[in-house]
Amino acid sequence: MQIICLSRGSYEYSKNLAEKLASKTGYTCISREMITDEATAFGIPVGKLEMAIMKKRPLSEEMSIEADLYKAFVTQYLCEKGLQQSIIYHGRTGHLVLPGLSNVLRVRAIADMDDRIKFAMNRLNLSWEKAKDYNELVDEDIRRWVRILYNVDWDDPSLYDVTINAAHLSAENAASALVQVAQLPEFMVTPVSKQRLEDLLLSSKCRLAIGKFEPTCDLKVTVRADKGNVSVTYLPRQTKEAEMIPKALKDIKGIKSLVCTIATTNILYIAEQFNPGAEAFDHLINIAEKWNASVELVHLSYDSKQEENGDNISEKRTKSKEANGGILDDMEEVDRLKIAGCGVQESMNKLIQVGRSGGFHSAYGSSSLVNSISRTENNSLIVVGDVFHSKGAAKKRLKRDLISQMADKFHVPVIGTEDLKSHYLFGPKQLISLVVSGVFGVILYLTIFLQQEPILKFLSSGHIPSNPMYLKIAAAATLAVSVPIIAHIIGGFFENILKLAKLE
Amino acid sequence: MNPLGDLFINITLSSALQISILGFIGGILSGFIGSGGAFFMTPGMMNLGVMGPVAVASNITHKFGKAIVGSKKHGELGNVDKRLSIFMLITAALGIKLAVWAMTFMFSKEGGAKGAGANLYISLVFVIVLSVVSLSMLRDIIKSRKLKESGPSTKIVDFLSTLRLHPIIHFPVSDVKVSLWVVLICGLATGYLAGTIGVGGFIGVPAMIYVFGVPAAVAAGTELYLAIFMGVFGALNYAYEGLVDIRMVLLLYSGSLLGIHIGALGTKIVKEVVIRLVTSLIIIMCVLSRLIAIPMYLQQLGMIGMDPVYNDYLNTASKSLLYVSGIGGGLLILYFVFKSVIQRRKIQKSLSIGILNTAQRAA
Repeated sequence: MQIICLSRGSYEYSKNLAEKLASKTGYTCISREMITDEATAFGIPVGKLEMAIMKKRPLSEEMSIEADLYKAFVTQYLCEKGLQQSIIYHGRTGHLVLPGLSNVLRVRAIADMDDRIKFAMNRLNLSWEKAKDYNELVDEDIRRWVRILYNVDWDDPSLYDVTINAAHLSAENAASALVQVAQLPEFMVTPVSKQRLEDLLLSSKCRLAIGKFEPTCDLKVTVRADKGNVSVTYLPRQTKEAEMIPKALKDIKGIKSLVCTIATTNILYIAEQFNPGAEAFDHLINIAEKWNASVELVHLSYDSKQEENGDNISEKRTKSKEANGGILDDMEEVDRLKIAGCGVQESMNKLIQVGRSGGFHSAYGSSSLVNSISRTENNSLIVVGDVFHSKGAAKKRLKRDLISQMADKFHVPVIGTEDLKSHYLFGPKQLISLVVSGVFGVILYLTIFLQQEPILKFLSSGHIPSNPMYLKIAAAATLAVSVPIIAHIIGGFFENILKLAKLE
Repeated sequence: MNPLGDLFINITLSSALQISILGFIGGILSGFIGSGGAFFMTPGMMNLGVMGPVAVASNITHKFGKAIVGSKKHGELGNVDKRLSIFMLITAALGIKLAVWAMTFMFSKEGGAKGAGANLYISLVFVIVLSVVSLSMLRDIIKSRKLKESGPSTKIVDFLSTLRLHPIIHFPVSDVKVSLWVVLICGLATGYLAGTIGVGGFIGVPAMIYVFGVPAAVAAGTELYLAIFMGVFGALNYAYEGLVDIRMVLLLYSGSLLGIHIGALGTKIVKEVVIRLVTSLIIIMCVLSRLIAIPMYLQQLGMIGMDPVYNDYLNTASKSLLYVSGIGGGLLILYFVFKSVIQRRKIQKSLSIGILNTAQRAA
């Protein structure tokens, strides 16, 4: 049961390539159009959604719920098929529809603009100029679609495993090459990837069920599933409707447990070892309560060979996979995860007790960790806890590297647990800052109001035509320099006051 | 006799408190709506007797300090398209210069009471622009309730967005391609309005979202980034003319920098459609407040033969309406925030409902 997803940079070439690949492999070919028709029949207004995005309209709350439902529908459709048979999917966002699945072969097919123009001229009976404009507009629409629905750049090469250029490779030969690539161990199904596919299927089924159940259809929710354990987060203003979530999900098979949490945003907490009794964990809960956030635990693990053999974890991981297709590794990791007392269950229980649980998932190695985190999710903060604990002296450096790698990848603050308090909670540092900014603020106000006549006389120099130019320039420059400093002092004072009142 | 001359008002404890409250409410509205709050603060200051150009100059100076703080946070999240800002800034600077020139010209015009011409000019621009903004927002709310779609679908905007006049510029952060001419026109309008009534964001942000297709978060971040430069440019220009009252700036900060955080909290718990409805109603009331003041300026300029006795009544009515809209809106937002804080502290436990058994959760 293999999955190949083709992102279409050129409709004709990509469709041709997908069909040729399907005939060579015997896999089922599924197009975006097929799923769109099914989604429309299901009751999702895909046409309206496309029109809203084409017209450059920001999505309303209702339309953004429809967008979520559409994404869930596509995921459900592909997961169901993918669990039964090997499939080839081709569509504009082929590389994004099954997030976090490392064994999916993600292909981008591109074509020369001139060729695309010729195709469009023949297909739509257009002039060269109009066909060119048409292609540019289509690309622009797709870019916007990808940006709005998935919050990534369509052209980001890091999202694809292979790019095929129609100008250099015929569809026939490209299909032959892809057949070979698809046989590589990296793209084989493993128990972990199968589990991930089942999790995706369950979470998408739950999302669709909530969206189609009348009392909960207006809920803006995020659904995660991990081995049958489903967590749903919803907005604070939707508490009443959210009480009906269990009813909406009652007919869905495979749910072992369900946790519903109020959250306007999400905090990711990455660690190899979780300690719910630690001070840092309490800090994390305090921040989550202040921000109305859920906390999603991400358990990071490495295999024993990597732990013994130095720093280059992702490289070693690849080599290890080459030898056995990753199957043994994954089996060991699953077993180890079950056995090891990494504190996940205790931490989850604590988060459930305080109403901040945002679910859990695991990642194996740094690169898998980065890929397992969806850029479309509403994460406000990524916290990196106890990682690389077997690395001794290199631990700090590796953790720092991981933090900067993640900060580059995801546009959210990434921070170590040791810095949580000083950055986000009120401590001695904030107290000193509060007092200092308060004192400076008082001095500032007293100075300006006690000396207002000379100060205003100087600053309004420009109003008197007979004043020399240098005086006018000096007055303007004084204002331009002093105003940001004043804003910084007063702003810092209020920021600390609000931190103290837990009202950020 | 005012020891500060005829340009600046004499600030008493009462007026200082009122300006600070104006800043606080303006800050709440600013955090809640996402605009600068100038639509409330500028007329509020004018109602307190501050001359229009001084109110505009002090407000634009106040805004630029605030924008530095705000855009820093947006920048950290990658929500600032600096390239787009630079292109817009080219004509925005021209727009500000035009606004400052027009303002100084109106202010120095002889005849009638001092500053009445400039006050009338500001009020007229205010009423025209904000009427269009608020009415299109209301229309959009009514339409979106019927069609489940959003966005003010004006023909001008649709026309501009389809204009593909070369050169077409690519903005990688926003990932959009827009005609240079369209960017320059929008920059000019943004700069002119920022310089005239301090509400450049009302044009800049919708233009970036609807005309350029920039994501909403990037549009807000880019506008704040642009506001720094437009603000510093506007502040320098007005300061060079000697029209900035630093005391006003300080008093506005004492309220707005607290209010902005509280307003932002409100957006987390209120439905988008409610935010837009509250915003449009507040703006409509601010517009009405300015509209009431217009006959007063016309009388001061000798353009209508109204008894000057009515000026006090008109000013009081204008001031009352503004305060009712601002305080009403502010209280409503505070109510949302207060309700959310209580709710948050009440519901400490998550709504944990086990369909089967929570204890079976796999580690």
